[in-house]
Amino acid sequence: MSTAAAAASSHADHGLEESKFQIYVQIAMLLAVITGMEIVTVYLPFAAWLLVTALVVMSAVKFLFVIFYFMHLRWDKPFCTILFFIGLILGGGTMFGLLKLFGAAASVPILNQ
Amino acid sequence: MSTAAAGVIDHHHDPSTSTGIPNKKLVMWMFLASDCMFFGCLISTHLIYRLHPPAGAPNARQVFSIELTSFSTFILLMSSLMMALAVNAIQKGNLKSLRASLLTTIFFGCIFLGCQVYEFSHFVSEKHMTITNSILGTTFFTLTGTHGLHVLIGVIWLTAMLIYSYTGRLSEKDSIDVEMMGLYWHFVDIVWIVIFTAVYLLEYIS
Repeated sequence: MSTAAAAASSHADHGLEESKFQIYVQIAMLLAVITGMEIVTVYLPFAAWLLVTALVVMSAVKFLFVIFYFMHLRWDKPFCTILFFIGLILGGGTMFGLLKLFGAAASVPILNQ
Repeated sequence: MSTAAAGVIDHHHDPSTSTGIPNKKLVMWMFLASDCMFFGCLISTHLIYRLHPPAGAPNARQVFSIELTSFSTFILLMSSLMMALAVNAIQKGNLKSLRASLLTTIFFGCIFLGCQVYEFSHFVSEKHMTITNSILGTTFFTLTGTHGLHVLIGVIWLTAMLIYSYTGRLSEKDSIDVEMMGLYWHFVDIVWIVIFTAVYLLEYIS
């Protein structure tokens, strides 16, 4: 790589670092707004399934913004993302499985029937 | 010519390891992946017992305070911003900015812990919900208490790093240590994002 190309690369890196500051602040503001929307959502007079779906989507958006931007997954090697998502899928899958299992009618404790 | 040869430290890739990822970062991601499973089980336990509350169980909606929890959530989100700025500062070798960001993150972390201590004592003394007298109390205090313990460990780690920055042994090339701490702190934040929705907000949907 020539000196000029190295300088251009360095300049691009510097530009990325500068823009990261603005990205972080914008994302923090976005997260605060989404949190406010979540709080308002629970008081809306809509069907429970719709509100639950909206809450899950909003918290998933917050989750993804934090891991990809604040935790740098967007700029890191994809292997970090794969590694974290293995744990996330196992944890999430366990949650889903347990909730389906214990949410079934046959799982209602005898004392509650 | 590599970026390292050009005098710029590449903070995202390490050519000296077979994965191209700094080993410390790799270990932290593995730990966080395992912690996902740990918190997944705790959250599942809480939700399962909320599916079938026993007769006479306390009404979570009357126990919880959404105002206090929303404030705590906002504080933790802002602490995440400050942590991200701290990592950005050390990667630029700006120690002054790093110290200011770390101090603010510690301050926000302490506010969050203070809110949690207040919430717990309020639940015990005013709402008469303890860890032993109801299933809601058991699962709630175990889950949020474990998360609070993670925050406490994070605050201690942040304080140690802040002190370390004054010894002159923390520079741009040690940014991986601050980045690892940042990953841990952001993880604590994302766990709270899930807890806030799954444990608190869902109770308010009638």
